[in-house]
Amino acid sequence: MSILLIGVNHKTAPVEVRELLAFSDEACAAGLRRLVDGEIVQEGLIVSTCNRVEILSATNSDQLQQTTKRVTDFLNTERNLPTGFLQSHLYTHTDDQAVRHLFRVASSLDSMVVGEPQVLGQVRRSYSVAVEAGTAGRILNRLVHHTFRVAKRVRTETGIAGNAVSISYMAVELGKKIFDSLKDRTVLLIGAGEMAELSARHLVNAGVSKVLIANRTAESAQRMAQAFAGEAVPFEQLAERLADADVVICSTNATNYVVTEAMMHRSRERRRNRPTCIIDISVPRNVDPDVSKEPNVFVFDVDDLESVISSNIREREREAERAELIVQSEVMQFHQSLRVMDIGPNIGAFKEKLHDLARAELERHRKRLGPLNAEQEAAIEALLVSTVNKISHPVLDQMKRTQEIGDTETVQALRDIFGLEE
Amino acid sequence: MRSLLLAVLAAYLNAAIHSILAFVNKRRSLQRVAEWSMAAGFILHTTALIADWVIDGHYPLFFLRETLSFLAWAMVAAYALVLYRYQAQALGAFTMPLVSVITFVALVIRTSTQGTPAGFSTTWLFPIHTTLLIFAYAAFFVVFMASVMYLLQERELKLKTFSAIFHRLPSLSTVNELATTAAALGLTLLTVGIATGMVWSSARDGRIWHNDPKEIFAVLTWLLYFLLIVYRSTAGWRGRRAAWLGVVGFALVLCTFVGTRFLGGYHVFG
Repeated sequence: MSILLIGVNHKTAPVEVRELLAFSDEACAAGLRRLVDGEIVQEGLIVSTCNRVEILSATNSDQLQQTTKRVTDFLNTERNLPTGFLQSHLYTHTDDQAVRHLFRVASSLDSMVVGEPQVLGQVRRSYSVAVEAGTAGRILNRLVHHTFRVAKRVRTETGIAGNAVSISYMAVELGKKIFDSLKDRTVLLIGAGEMAELSARHLVNAGVSKVLIANRTAESAQRMAQAFAGEAVPFEQLAERLADADVVICSTNATNYVVTEAMMHRSRERRRNRPTCIIDISVPRNVDPDVSKEPNVFVFDVDDLESVISSNIREREREAERAELIVQSEVMQFHQSLRVMDIGPNIGAFKEKLHDLARAELERHRKRLGPLNAEQEAAIEALLVSTVNKISHPVLDQMKRTQEIGDTETVQALRDIFGLEE
Repeated sequence: MRSLLLAVLAAYLNAAIHSILAFVNKRRSLQRVAEWSMAAGFILHTTALIADWVIDGHYPLFFLRETLSFLAWAMVAAYALVLYRYQAQALGAFTMPLVSVITFVALVIRTSTQGTPAGFSTTWLFPIHTTLLIFAYAAFFVVFMASVMYLLQERELKLKTFSAIFHRLPSLSTVNELATTAAALGLTLLTVGIATGMVWSSARDGRIWHNDPKEIFAVLTWLLYFLLIVYRSTAGWRGRRAAWLGVVGFALVLCTFVGTRFLGGYHVFG
């Protein structure tokens, strides 16, 4: 059995090509049914996200070339592309390489932003589409489940998903660093822009219980307050309400400082020195940089956030190197387990053959034995079964062991000796 | 009991190495090894202390060797409490190496064992006095570590450059709370410890104050931590200034514990 992976991703194909190839869930299921014919392509699965379209298939080892052609033709005909159009974009991986690629994709090592969490969910969905379409068989089932295990291992044992790599998520990360838990904290949004909204969404998901919105136009503040079940604060009361906030996200179009040092000083006194985290994503800045001089007040402007993000990305890349080692060792493990699985049919065939022989002999000598009572009948049956098992056990043991070390010749020799059909 | 203490040292060293590795690599499996190793060391250490007590016939907190061993034991206990309550594993990467060093010194040090402690064992007050103070030292060590962690992180947050160590330390509010709780606990232990010492001393020689360096430093330490607690609870003194007090306080603690040994005086032992 061989595993084949053919596809394009953000590194090999521009978005124009990727969107040409993209499959919706319905298209996936229908396409898979056309692709998997049970003869050349025996099992199939399509992973289609905005960054990649990949077709994973299982086939007989000696039909690898036909399968490659069939899958490539499938992509061309499905999307009415001229032959050769995809040539420069497609990559083809077989067996261990294909396994490794899938492991890397699911562990988010092949993503545009290393460690992003969505891709695993997308692989999961692709798999359930394939299962429903009936095109995931014993090889792909095993492979995909192993893939989920690897992704989980990478996530828990390395820090590739550790630190925030987007501005909107930095508020959560900094908040957690300062307050430990964001549970029951209050966030104040100054300005009701999109970025502020996204940050607030992340913060609420992380446990923030109260959202205050101060905006120059009261309507937008009201609208956002409704969206977050929060409270719209009149812009004039900003100075007083500042003290209520643990996290402040500032994103107005103002050209002057909306939060001044004097305001922050009063707020800090009223907060009795409890820390405040201020994130200023507006350009020009809305928070006086001098606010940072107040003790227990931490201010981050866009440049600060960007530089933290780039250091976080470097940290993720370092962790990714460790993840690659995990993937490598898992590929080897999967390789082993596939070999043992390959031998499965042999074991069945061998046992059946011996049992058939035993049953046939019994029938042949039946008459000579004369009438038997139930007890004797059972005893003879048991005798045969245990004889067959005694003979087959060391042979099967040997088969499994030689298979594990990749000695296919010996396996073939054993098959020949006992006259097992392929 | 040296062989038993040697086993304790081995366990602590193993815990120290794995704590550091867990700190650097952020691996939970390594942390588990460190914690089990520490637990094994702690049980052996407890056994060793009890054995010392039974064999030597006096409470094992009199000679310097015993004091150091007891201090290491108390520090492990304090770290275990911190782990249980705050999950601040990062502390282990610093505590366990120090504990190992102290245990090592306790193992190799040769102090004169003249001056039988018989006179001190007649009443329960003396062992209580010393035990409480050892635990107070352990608590102040936790305050110190938490304060250092606070200052390191506060600095990086203000400068907006996060080093690798930053991502590995517990959050500001965790270390702040840890420092406050440990300081309150340490101050309580110190208060009762000093009080029992005074009672014991007055019963022994009829005076509660000998004006020796250790006593003076102890009172200074007490005042500093008292200030820290009072300021924190009344004036909302938190953050950097409180953390600096935690660091300075520990310097005083070190003077109380080590310095006075060289200055002589009434408290010549432990």
